Amino acid sequence: MIARRVASVCAAVCALAGQASSQARPPGTVVIVTGQFASSPVPTTMEGAQSTTANQELSDQLFLRLANLGPDRRTADERSFQPALARRWERIDSLTIAVELDPRARWQDGRPVVANDVAYTFARARDPKIAPKLANLLRHLADVSPDGDRRVVFRFSRAYPEQFYDIVFHASPLPSHLLGPPSAEIPRDFIQNPVGSGPYRIARAVPGQFIELAANPNFLFGPPKVSRVLFRVAGDPEARMNLLLSDEADAIENVPGLVENVRRFSEAAHVRAIALPSSTMGYLLFNQRDRVDRSRPHPILGDPGVRRAIRLALDRQGIVRATFDRFAAVPYGPVSQLLWIREQSPAAEGQNLREARRLLASLGWSDSDGDGVLDKNGMPLALALSYPLTSEVRRKIALLVQEQLRAAGIRIELIRLEGAVWNERRTRGDFDIDFSSVLQDPTPSGLTQGWSCDGGTNVAKYCNPKVDSLLERAISDPRGGGATWQAALRQIEEDAPAVFLYAPLNVYPVSRRLHDVRLRPESPWIQLWSWRAG
Amino acid sequence: MSWLAQLWAAVWRRRSGRFAAVALATIALAAIVLPPVLPDPAAQPDIVAGATPPASAHPFGTDQLSRDVLSRVVSGARVSLAVAALAVLVSMTIGAAVGLTAGYFGGSVDALLMRIVDAGLAIPRLFILLLLLAVWERIPLPALVLILGTTGWFGASRLVRGEVIRLRHEPFVSGAEALGAGRRRVMFRHLLPNTAGPLLVAATLGVSDVILLEAGLSFLGLGIQPPTPSWGAMILDAKPVLVVAPWTSLFPGLAIVVTVLAVNLLGDALSDVLDSSGA
Amino acid sequence: MARGLSGWLAARAVQAMATLAVVLILLFVLMRIAPGDPLGRLASDRPITPAETAALRARYGLDRPIAAQFASYVQGAVRGDFGTSIEYGRPVGALIAERLPATFLLGGVVLLVNFTVGIWLGALQATNRGTLLDRLLTAVSLAGHAVPSFWLGLVLAWLVGVRWRLLPAAGMQNPLLDPDAGLAARTADLLAHLALPALTLCVVSLAGTMRYQRRAMIEVLRFPYIATARAKGVPESQVLHRHAWRNALFPVLTLFGLWLPILVTGAVFVESVFAWPGLGLLAADAVGARDYPLLMGTAALAAGLVILGGIVTDLAYAMLDPRVRAAA
Repeated sequence: MIARRVASVCAAVCALAGQASSQARPPGTVVIVTGQFASSPVPTTMEGAQSTTANQELSDQLFLRLANLGPDRRTADERSFQPALARRWERIDSLTIAVELDPRARWQDGRPVVANDVAYTFARARDPKIAPKLANLLRHLADVSPDGDRRVVFRFSRAYPEQFYDIVFHASPLPSHLLGPPSAEIPRDFIQNPVGSGPYRIARAVPGQFIELAANPNFLFGPPKVSRVLFRVAGDPEARMNLLLSDEADAIENVPGLVENVRRFSEAAHVRAIALPSSTMGYLLFNQRDRVDRSRPHPILGDPGVRRAIRLALDRQGIVRATFDRFAAVPYGPVSQLLWIREQSPAAEGQNLREARRLLASLGWSDSDGDGVLDKNGMPLALALSYPLTSEVRRKIALLVQEQLRAAGIRIELIRLEGAVWNERRTRGDFDIDFSSVLQDPTPSGLTQGWSCDGGTNVAKYCNPKVDSLLERAISDPRGGGATWQAALRQIEEDAPAVFLYAPLNVYPVSRRLHDVRLRPESPWIQLWSWRAG
Repeated sequence: MSWLAQLWAAVWRRRSGRFAAVALATIALAAIVLPPVLPDPAAQPDIVAGATPPASAHPFGTDQLSRDVLSRVVSGARVSLAVAALAVLVSMTIGAAVGLTAGYFGGSVDALLMRIVDAGLAIPRLFILLLLLAVWERIPLPALVLILGTTGWFGASRLVRGEVIRLRHEPFVSGAEALGAGRRRVMFRHLLPNTAGPLLVAATLGVSDVILLEAGLSFLGLGIQPPTPSWGAMILDAKPVLVVAPWTSLFPGLAIVVTVLAVNLLGDALSDVLDSSGA
Repeated sequence: MARGLSGWLAARAVQAMATLAVVLILLFVLMRIAPGDPLGRLASDRPITPAETAALRARYGLDRPIAAQFASYVQGAVRGDFGTSIEYGRPVGALIAERLPATFLLGGVVLLVNFTVGIWLGALQATNRGTLLDRLLTAVSLAGHAVPSFWLGLVLAWLVGVRWRLLPAAGMQNPLLDPDAGLAARTADLLAHLALPALTLCVVSLAGTMRYQRRAMIEVLRFPYIATARAKGVPESQVLHRHAWRNALFPVLTLFGLWLPILVTGAVFVESVFAWPGLGLLAADAVGARDYPLLMGTAALAAGLVILGGIVTDLAYAMLDPRVRAAA
């Protein structure tokens, strides 16, 4: 009796649910599932804990940049950029650029976008108290002044080819007429309901669940064909994938490009996968110094021969294939697929176990006690490899690395750590080998941070003055520095401060009901206004 | 000793007790005998092939790293069973002692002990574990068991205390007290056996919790580190391939289910025996 | 009696406040000693300069001595201001408040099912002890108990949500549903989203209540007074209801007290798998991000529920058995 009643209740719920779960999207509506809720999608507020991709990607829907990166993402070539709020730009001398705003550009409240807005935004962005991250990125910018209503003149304190990239990429203009003085905080009201110049505005937000966007009919490039966009939030990649596979969503982001995941959505008929260069690069970072006494070299890894032998012992191609199938490459130097300099690089060195063994033997490492692990002067060739447990990709690859090095007589002890603990130890230099992963900006100039002697994130204390001067020359080379970049990469590979393991593609599964879908690596949904949703 | 032998004989007489004992002995025996004849649980013969479904070469299939699931389940039993048995034993002992004391003496003793339990329940375990991580690079297995045991008794102590409070005023307790039985005798002879019910349930249910918790700890960098397999860690590791390669988590999962079932049946048989002999 | 009870309650309230204060101080200190800090996550995957770090530490008030930070936290908390979350940039109170409905809905359903269906099934097993029904229920409930909740959640989401498309795979509401839709439509939508997470949590938790209830009932049924009542010819149903139930409820009540805080923190994996916007995930994220203010807020709420659970349990003991009152 009870069973029957339970069954009938179940049937009723399912019937209701079936009706509710048929979340068919009407034409012109797109549902995208992201990993995080964007709580502050306003330029110059995305600092500290708010400097998330969720905020940046939503900001790109609400606020237009002065210009966008061209198809080849040449950050050092200002002619390859595409006009947005700026109609044209002109180089006056090696330290000065003038930008002319498009007279048709309007804020969403109808007011025109003027030169003052640009100057206001940069006043905020260059204030280290308001925007420490932007202020650092814009540190070579000396002055931003309006010249009439439509023209803005940017002056730099230093000549370098990426000046225009720095002007347009980091800070989209804000409407100065709606905001207080540049030194004041942006009011909560504006952050929750921003008025921008972009293709969309926020129509409704349910914190922790979703944000609904409505099209801006007065958008500079014409009214968006997709009239309504929903950014849903699901922190777990499995939940995001389920929402797409159950056809409750049109696109998802930030699903690890693991073989297993890609296989799942390539089997779904209503979905196609779009692969894009990713800014991620994963590598095994060797500590150059002793873990405890940072003034002494690392007892094992201080020797570049050992570092090169470890690289030779690893089958990086196999690791990449086993983990990402064809959606990743072995990088040459610390270069993700997003950086243009990778196109001129040679292929990465392959595995050569015999050569690795020979190299280690020539350095005095032998298995004198027959335990399968090499040793030298009584010290075993044993190293700890630490990595954060949050990364599925690194969890898997660490096991592959451990097993492959075992064959070369190197014992790897795996230390998986909670994210914050891992990071603290890494920053302190308390590791033998650190399994790092970095998100790179589209510019190669960021390489100085990790690989020059006094780089801000050079936790392994790798230092080669030759690399420093090559990087410095490449950054300030007015012709873009192609050959100098390659020389720097060659030197880094030669020194082997790390084994560069994988530079993946990001795989974006997208519903087939969407047409004209163009995704951009630096901000995937930035051209959403030009898609069509059937 | 003869008391234990009697208990054992009584359990063995029951069908469920026999089944449970045989099942647990089989798992333990397999963990000891089988590893030498099975493939190396850490070997990755074909990483590009990855997870392959069960076949004659690999009866339980292989995982994402092409490792043999059967040999991992078998050798994972060692860590999982040892940790579960010992950690549960530790936490139940402490829990019973605290609960018995608080419930029997009542008043300020009870208040103090229970507020300590409140605090123990209120402070997230993760904090304590993270602190250990700050001071300890590598935690040996016995220490891990101790950590799990000493942070897992709070609930059990409240359960035992509740039972003691209920039984304190039963005629058999006041009777014993009136006859001049000492406190210790009342607590251990009369009260403890009668609270064995919830305690055994807590212990037997705790087994699977501890097995999974151990895996959670190893994910935090505490406890057993890869490639040493444990059942819980196998399930956690298999999360990304749950749908694509269900066998990688199904078999360790089944091993946990069988163990939990056996332990519970054993617990049932034990408390039946205690019921019919006690009071 | 009434005065005795209110006196007891007052004493317990004082104890509760003291315990809460001690726990909060401990938490504040522990979380600062624990490795990692709120800026750690930022630095983990992008370059961050020392100047930026210093500016952010000042912004989040992390550059002052711990004692000063604690003093201002307490001052704020007394006024009902629990600080601003670092991760979300919003007041902690508001963040917690907007997650409460989802949390209480899911947790409430699970508690309700456990302490009705679970108790009933456990009692059913006890009165049919040793039968096929008893053994079957034991096996099924234990299998459910041994399954990790994320595993069951993923399987259900995939099977029911993706394969059969019977219920939504994740979330708490359909964002396409018109916000002005009728109550019936919105309730149906909510129930459809609630079904799978609630089912998952019920399956993995039911064995707990069932086992305790079964064991307690079995023990009570062998007490002399039950035999006496039966011998006197009291009908079996009355024996069960008058005598057995009352005494068999003790362990389950304790369990209820223990599970009350699970409302807040117990459903992390299920919330994650089903993208359910509850507090558990918020609290777990706060630990991961070392979002100190948010962490204190969620931990204080959980601690409050732990203490409340203890009081409710003791109160219930006293209600069930008048003799306990004198002792408690």
